[in-house]
Parts: sequence; C-alpha cells; structure tokens
Amino acid sequence: MITATRKPLDDIKAMIRPFKKVLIAGCGSCVAECAAGGEKEVAQLASSLRMAFKLEGQAIELNEITVDRQCVNIFLDQLEQPTQANEAVLSLACGAGVQALAERHPDRHVFPALDTQFLGQTKQPGLWLENCLGCGQCKLYYFGAVCPLARCAKQLFNGPCGGSQKGKCEVDPDKPCAWQLIIDRLGALNALDRLDEVYEPVDWSCKQGRGPRKIVREDQQS
Amino acid sequence: MKKNVETTLTVFYCQNSFKENKRTLEAQAGPRVRLFPIPCSGRLEPLFLLRALEGGADAACLFVCPEGACRYFEGNRRASKRVAYTQKMLKEIGLEEDRVFITFMSANEKRPPKKMILDALAAAEKLGPSPLNKAPLKEKK
Repeated sequence: MITATRKPLDDIKAMIRPFKKVLIAGCGSCVAECAAGGEKEVAQLASSLRMAFKLEGQAIELNEITVDRQCVNIFLDQLEQPTQANEAVLSLACGAGVQALAERHPDRHVFPALDTQFLGQTKQPGLWLENCLGCGQCKLYYFGAVCPLARCAKQLFNGPCGGSQKGKCEVDPDKPCAWQLIIDRLGALNALDRLDEVYEPVDWSCKQGRGPRKIVREDQQS
Repeated sequence: MKKNVETTLTVFYCQNSFKENKRTLEAQAGPRVRLFPIPCSGRLEPLFLLRALEGGADAACLFVCPEGACRYFEGNRRASKRVAYTQKMLKEIGLEEDRVFITFMSANEKRPPKKMILDALAAAEKLGPSPLNKAPLKEKK
C-alpha cells in the first residue's frame, strides 16, 4: 500500500486561492486505507477549506468526488466530466494518481493535497510502517520476509551493525532491529543457513538509476 | 459577563449516557441547542464537528460516558482522540480550538441532563459568536 499524509492547510489554500471552482478528488484505495485521501478525508478537507476561505471573506465553490483509483485509467473516466466542470482539481491521491489525472487533462490545473510517503503496511489502526523500498530485486526469501533495506536504518545486507540493544535499533530505540527480527525468524524456521551467503550490495540501477521504470506485459495489453 | 443571546450549540451525545429521549432533551435545552444522539461516542467523526461549525453553530460539543464505563469499552477514549484531532484542524482553519469540546460525565453525575447541556451552552457563550457567522463573502474576480 502507498501511504501519504495531508499537506498543511495553508499550503493547500495557497495552491487553490486563484480559483473560484475547485474539484476535490479523493482516491478510494491506498490513501483511503491510510486515512489521508478517501471519501471521509475529502469531506473533511472540503469543510476545512470552506471555513478557512470564509474566514478570509473569500467565496469558493468546492465540489467533492472520490473514485476507486486515480492511478488507473479506467477509473479516471469517472473524473472526466467533473474535472472539466471545475477550474482546478485538488487531488487526494498519491503522486502517481495526481500525475495520471493531470496527464488526462492538459487544460486543467491539478494540484496535490497529499505528501506521498512510502510503501507500507497497516500495522494497527492509525499506525502505518514502511517495509518496502521497491528496489526491484526482492530478497525477502533470504532474509525471512523481513527487508533489511527498508527496515534496517543502515540498510545492511550482511548481518547486524552491532549497535542493536535488547532487540531495538540504536538509531531509533523505538523501532525493532531488523536484523534481530531476521535472525529470530530464520532461527525459528530452522533456516539460518540462508545467511551463510555474502550478499552483494543492491543494484540501485534496478530502482532509479535508469530513470523512471516501466513494466510491459504484452499479454495484458489490448 | 454579558451573555450573547444568539449563541448556538450543537451537541452530540452517546445515547447510552442520557436516559431522556432526544425530544425531551430538546424541550429542556431550548432552541439554541441542536441535539444529535449517536449510538456510541466512538461513532463520532471529526467531520460531524466540522459540519456543525460550518453549518452555523458557534460551538459543538460531545457528551460521553464516564471514563472506563463505555458500553463498547473504548468508544469514549476514541472520541476523545477525535475531538483532539478536530481541535488541531480548527487551529489550521483559523478558528479557536475551544469551539469543539468534549464533556466526560462523571460516574456519580449529579447534574440533570438539562443542567449539563446548559453548562455547555454557557461555555460556548464565553467564546462569543463564531467568526464564520459574521464574515462577509466577496466574489473572486
């Protein structure tokens, strides 16, 4: 899941201030799960903005809509007419959704209302943890399904740093040491021998070194 | 202090916290108070409070069961966090945080509901009218 947090209200106000009629577009998938960009958050933001502009004596028309996914073209069809009916769009999607919407509407301003954060997991209600960097070469098999790249502060591939204390990271004692988790888990699964191998550093060219990545699957294409 | 007779208050309350029904409470509280029972205070969303203020109330409050006495165990604790979150939003908007507040009933509450609601209205009166209700709007060019 892609996580995000809402930008400060003043930043959002500054973006939409020149416009009289703005569409606030939510995304019902990842950012709804992390309580940043779903239907509820769209309604909260619209209400907050209406009040904030009213306090400044400014009239603004804010329209609300939420689609299932803003990063998938077929769902963007639902935003076609509402986007054209407004002067600008404030998107509560992740960066991918904002760009997908903007690409479809070259004649409309599309602004991000969220700061996209990381790929993560909902650990418990109200707590989201980063656990994947999208490196393009998943090695979770070797590390007992605990990613040392995403979850070790020093991104170490070949064993702990030696600074971990009582299973906690020395960089942030609130967080568990990823290597403690790896060793505990592989030990419990009787698979510690996977750590005998020396792993080479990550090939970052698989992530960002060659510019934006793409996946092509001809069998999925129409 | 001079009372502002126009002050209006929106009250959300856990329906397990008052024995009286909504109609009885409305008759007791008077026309300046709008009452909204919810099945548990944990059902409260920040949006309820925002919409109350946006809709013209000078303040909005939530009555919850005594701490540790929620029928659903954690409803009042969650409600308390949501009110705090809404107060942060109000600060961002430019309104006084105190325009939304929570009232925990005490385990041996002696005040009748009417008195509790009127006390909340008195607290709202101290804040004066909401700046939202007096801000004239000008059209953008």
